[in-house]
Amino acid sequence: MSVFHWIFLIGFTTCFIACLYHFIHTLFLTMPRQYAKARGKVLPAVVYSFTKAMSPSRKESAYLHLPTYFSGLAYHLGTFMSFFLVFLFFFNYHPSWPWSAIFSGILAISALAGLSILIKRILKKDLRQLSNPDDYISNLLVTLLQGFVAFTLLKHSLVPALLVYASAVMLYIPVGKLKHVVYFFSSRIYLAVFFGRRGVWPVKEDKP
Amino acid sequence: MSDDLTISRQKALKALAEHLDGRLLSNLNSCVHCGLCGESCQYYLTTRDPRFIPGRKVDLISGLYKRYHTVTGRLIPRLVGARDLDDETVREMVDVLFGACTMCGRCTAHCSIGIDIPFLVRTARTLLSEMDLVPKGLRSTVDAAIQSGNNMAIPHNEFVDTILWLEEDLKMEVNDESATIPLDQPGKRIMYTLNPREPKFFPLSISVMAKVFYAAGEDWTLSSNMYDVTNYAFYTGEDRLAAELTKRLVTEMQALGSTMLVLAECGHGSRSIRWEGPEWIERPYPFEVKTAVELLADYIRSGRIRVDPSKNKLPVTLHDPCNLVRLGGVIEEQRYILSHTVSNFIEMTPNRTNNYCCGGGGGQLSMSEYNDRRLTIGKLKADQIQRTGAKIVATPCHNCIDQIMGLNQHYGLGVEVKTLGEIVADALVL
Repeated sequence: MSVFHWIFLIGFTTCFIACLYHFIHTLFLTMPRQYAKARGKVLPAVVYSFTKAMSPSRKESAYLHLPTYFSGLAYHLGTFMSFFLVFLFFFNYHPSWPWSAIFSGILAISALAGLSILIKRILKKDLRQLSNPDDYISNLLVTLLQGFVAFTLLKHSLVPALLVYASAVMLYIPVGKLKHVVYFFSSRIYLAVFFGRRGVWPVKEDKP
Repeated sequence: MSDDLTISRQKALKALAEHLDGRLLSNLNSCVHCGLCGESCQYYLTTRDPRFIPGRKVDLISGLYKRYHTVTGRLIPRLVGARDLDDETVREMVDVLFGACTMCGRCTAHCSIGIDIPFLVRTARTLLSEMDLVPKGLRSTVDAAIQSGNNMAIPHNEFVDTILWLEEDLKMEVNDESATIPLDQPGKRIMYTLNPREPKFFPLSISVMAKVFYAAGEDWTLSSNMYDVTNYAFYTGEDRLAAELTKRLVTEMQALGSTMLVLAECGHGSRSIRWEGPEWIERPYPFEVKTAVELLADYIRSGRIRVDPSKNKLPVTLHDPCNLVRLGGVIEEQRYILSHTVSNFIEMTPNRTNNYCCGGGGGQLSMSEYNDRRLTIGKLKADQIQRTGAKIVATPCHNCIDQIMGLNQHYGLGVEVKTLGEIVADALVL
């Protein structure tokens, strides 16, 4: 392994352990006990929480803001795809033509989606007031990662630099708001427990 | 903790530390500041004040968590929006978290992450309570309940006299000398609770439920010692006091030996007792708990009472109380009741779990400091009601009734506001 691989491995291991600690700690070690008699079931609510409850058919933050919703969707898919590809590069696998071009194109689109979210944050006064430096840094780091991976797909010699950059991003994940990669899941599970036990989720009515 | 923190602020931060379980940690760490929640909050929608965006409310408490419980927040607070518990933060917390949030949970249902924002707001209120910063009206409501046994401090003899007077009325209305409103009778199946607003200002709503119980041949009683369904300590975030009020109800239930506690039409009361109470006292109830709405629906469904919808001819719409519906799971029963007791039922849009709060939740009706704001944000509800063209607004919550009556006057809606009990009683076939 090259020194770049080692740097990546350090970043990944640190990030993984920190995220795993956060997830286990929040979800399993400190789960509050529930005494009220349940009216509904939790499991269907958990499924609902990660599926229909997130969809534009249910959620105002989706159906009232479709461009932002789809930008966010593309951006997050691009992020997961980027990390997946970084792992492939780490294992010295490089997608061949035309896949490399296709993936690169997809990531270019997702990076643009990330950029649009960043621009929106800068331009909208209410959003600016809500934001702190971490919001801009996190958005920028991940957008650049996607762009970097898109370029690396076309120019393999960039892999060492990409591994170092990806390592830096991973070291930042547990520190700033990027750690919502963990807390998103635990929050939605807690919400599903809350609404599921009360018989509110899954929502049965047809219209929002 | 820095030395310049006052003792009360240290107490607040200690409370935050003590409450840091998995659920709280999860919610404190999740907000991505997308700001989309603003469009689901009636405070923001009606005022466009960015301070009222739910994400900003989350920041008020998550900023404290970051400052005092995270490495980044301790070392580089500005980077992550960590905030000191200073005068400015405290002022904003009181104004926004008490004065600009009904804890209706609509933002949560639509949050892109799924953050339980009312839970965070309540936790922040706990901190403010530790600093003795609960607004005066809300403070005195809780204190009255603790000291007198009901939130309106109704003296015992006054309550008993009211019930005796209502019993005489009931006998006349149903033309049956044996009709009663049982008081403190042991061994009855049901112990029925009341919102103190009923004996104090709206005894009619006690009469109508007594009439329904009479028609159903129910085995029930009221308690003169502990009848208050409300628990405003839920809104001040004071778990210890909330537990004390819950324990009193449990003790009274056990003293009377009833097997079912029926909760009067009160949104936050139903939620507090049904869902939060067992958590506050850290044990399950040894009896069944049901809301009056569920009981009324059961009576109709089982044929225990007969109702005639043609007795309620005017168009009726339904307001869904947040704590009963979105946060309590009683969603279809009220619709079942109305579909059997009125001729013309019109749904509001949006409705059910997506409904807007009336604007009176979160203890707002107790906090006169925010009256103007409360009526302003009620515009959304007033518009919803107007669009239905209904002449009667039914809602199973006395708190919502007060707010909608206020909106009725303020916005000239020209509607009548009724409990479901009133609607059912009007439709009864005796």
